[in-house]
Amino acid sequence: MVRSGFVTPELDTRWFDPARLNVLIGILLFTAFLVVNIFRARAKGTLYVRPIAGLKALDEAIGRATEMGRPVLYVPGLSDMSEVGTFAAITICARLAYRVAEMGCDIDVPCYDPVVMTVLDGAVREAYSKAGKPDAFRPGCVHYVSAQQMAYVAAVNGFMLRELPAANIYMGSFYAESLLLAETGARTGAIQIAGTDKVTQLPFFVCACDYTLLGEELFAASAYLGREPIQLATVIAQDWAKALAAAAIVGALVLSALGHPALQTWLKVA
Amino acid sequence: MRRGPLLLTFLSGAAIAALFFIPHYRAQAANSMLLEWTLVVYAFALILGSISLWNSHARKVRNRAEGWGFSVVTLVSLLAITALGVWKGVGEGTPVDWIYNTVNSPLASTMFALLAFVIASAAFRAFRARSVEATLLLVTAIVMMIGRVSIGELISHRLPGITEWLLDVPNLAAKRAIAIGVGLGAVSTALKIILGIERSYLGRS
Repeated sequence: MVRSGFVTPELDTRWFDPARLNVLIGILLFTAFLVVNIFRARAKGTLYVRPIAGLKALDEAIGRATEMGRPVLYVPGLSDMSEVGTFAAITICARLAYRVAEMGCDIDVPCYDPVVMTVLDGAVREAYSKAGKPDAFRPGCVHYVSAQQMAYVAAVNGFMLRELPAANIYMGSFYAESLLLAETGARTGAIQIAGTDKVTQLPFFVCACDYTLLGEELFAASAYLGREPIQLATVIAQDWAKALAAAAIVGALVLSALGHPALQTWLKVA
Repeated sequence: MRRGPLLLTFLSGAAIAALFFIPHYRAQAANSMLLEWTLVVYAFALILGSISLWNSHARKVRNRAEGWGFSVVTLVSLLAITALGVWKGVGEGTPVDWIYNTVNSPLASTMFALLAFVIASAAFRAFRARSVEATLLLVTAIVMMIGRVSIGELISHRLPGITEWLLDVPNLAAKRAIAIGVGLGAVSTALKIILGIERSYLGRS
């Protein structure tokens, strides 16, 4: 339709995008894996999940901080609540704060995003209550710093050099600041544990930190730390989905090589 | 019981997920509106952030904690920028714009420039041949560094090709494997939150 020289675009009136059917099937399969594993977990009472060195080291890090009388620094990444990595960082922080409260250590959580700060403040406060030490919670331990990347780095690095935390934990989504933070932390002699879903930042953390959670391990961390069967069931569902994805990739590769690219085309996300 | 927040999380999470599959213009308009709401939430949270920043630094000044002078600078800057922004605006040519360009940007660039030095020191630590894997990393890094500069082609005309192969085959294979794991992990975390399995962000496990 042409009106006053402008072309009005056609309005989409479809209630389902068939090009995204593959994604829907994938999510439904994943949900089915999740439900099956939750039932398995309820029936068995426990499920085996391979040990993750970085997460086992968290207790060591908190213990070291307690013995040295120094704080634990928790950096929850530089993303907002729209990133799943930030959610993972929040859940890990809640579990970590519980252990910190139990061991009578101090924690400092500088935040880049004010919404994340508000959520983290509530989560840490509740973790202290759950540990039976609500009075040990220090108001201001979760605090806002800056929404500017380099200003945030300057503030956190300054904290590391002045307060000399015994353990630096970096979890969440990181960008160019990853190495600036981790390298400063390494120079202070702190034990450093990092985890990120940003593949480009992983090498920097691997170089500068004692332990690094690679990609999916970040998302498994909360379940691993909680050790609740239903939480662990989600990790196993994730492994099943990964096996299915690997099978689909190999299948698509073989079929394409044989001149049938239909599966490869269908797997592409619109 | 926190049924309210859990129900709200389920409904909003399920709605946003459903909107990914619905291209109808009304559904997409609703999607845009929901995203605009997050800006309103952010604006209110920014007030909480500013209060947190003020309290954190005011406490340091009050207690004369180490480095309290920096906190004074932060508090004065916060007040000055806020006052100037309200009084003169924040557009081009305003005092806030001038301060941003002449103070903030050079400081941020200085911090960013430090990256070159920390990369060198991190590489020095990582490239020590302590194990088979570290030696492999060291050799690969040397090949990559030489192969990506002009002298690499002078040493051997095959070096640039080798670096391209290293990037496109073993490196990309590892990157994609991690990316698939990250994607599945993200879906898993999202489902856990939507279905109420993961509640620690609410302060409950």
